[in-house]
Amino acid sequence: MTLERRNGRLYYYRSVRDGEKVRKVYVGAGEVARICYETDMLRRTDRRAHQERERTELERLEGLVALVEEFSGAAKVLVIAHLVDAVYRKRKGEWRRARSA
Amino acid sequence: MPGALELSEDARGRLTELRALSEKAEAGDKEARKELRRLLRASSPEVIAEASHIARRAEWILVKTISAGKPLMQEALQERMHQMRAEIAGENPTPLEVLLTERVVAGWLLVEVLEGLIAAQYQRDVTAHRVAPTYVIQQSRIVESATRRYLAAIRELARVRKLQSGAPVQVNTQVNILRG
Repeated sequence: MTLERRNGRLYYYRSVRDGEKVRKVYVGAGEVARICYETDMLRRTDRRAHQERERTELERLEGLVALVEEFSGAAKVLVIAHLVDAVYRKRKGEWRRARSA
Repeated sequence: MPGALELSEDARGRLTELRALSEKAEAGDKEARKELRRLLRASSPEVIAEASHIARRAEWILVKTISAGKPLMQEALQERMHQMRAEIAGENPTPLEVLLTERVVAGWLLVEVLEGLIAAQYQRDVTAHRVAPTYVIQQSRIVESATRRYLAAIRELARVRKLQSGAPVQVNTQVNILRG
């Protein structure tokens, strides 16, 4: 988004992605340029704030998952150790008692 | 948030050792099996106690998060978890069963908390903003992964019981997808 001043007059262009290229599209001049620019800026700020809120929310959810992860991982190791100690073996994803037991 | 909810260096070290020995023993290393047995007897109770303690603290944080300062809801959730623990652990549970019970209860609570927070957020945000599909996908992944771990925790508890009783056991897990 660019607001340009040429010969004392405002010109507003939006940047539009067209495949790999970015094109400058003329929006308007004078008062229209200023109003469109400010509206776009408000929308952009609002969108960024919304994205930031989403990011924070996801981090919060992941933080809650991490609370359970720590001891859950420990439990998993202990279960496997007990199973192996009791001569169990994992075969095709299933724990089975080994023949030698 | 975690910080105080992390296992001690000592416990982590023992777990790493147990994992390595389990792998070797499973591959047929007899010395590793002996060492695994020795280490299990020596350090398992302490590690289990530490992990159980962390589990309780994690559950407390989850309860506080979802009850959002409402004492009645906090009480109700704690009572529900108390009942769940009693039902799942049964009479005279071994320390490992206690830890696995905590894991099941925490897993259940985590899924409830995640679903509750997401539902509340949608009620708040959907009318005001368009929710990005990538965001919805990420949220779904988090809940899905928590649900999967919860079900795995139930299966693992059943496995340990089977191992301890020596009797065959069938594991049925029910997932309630729709809520009334």
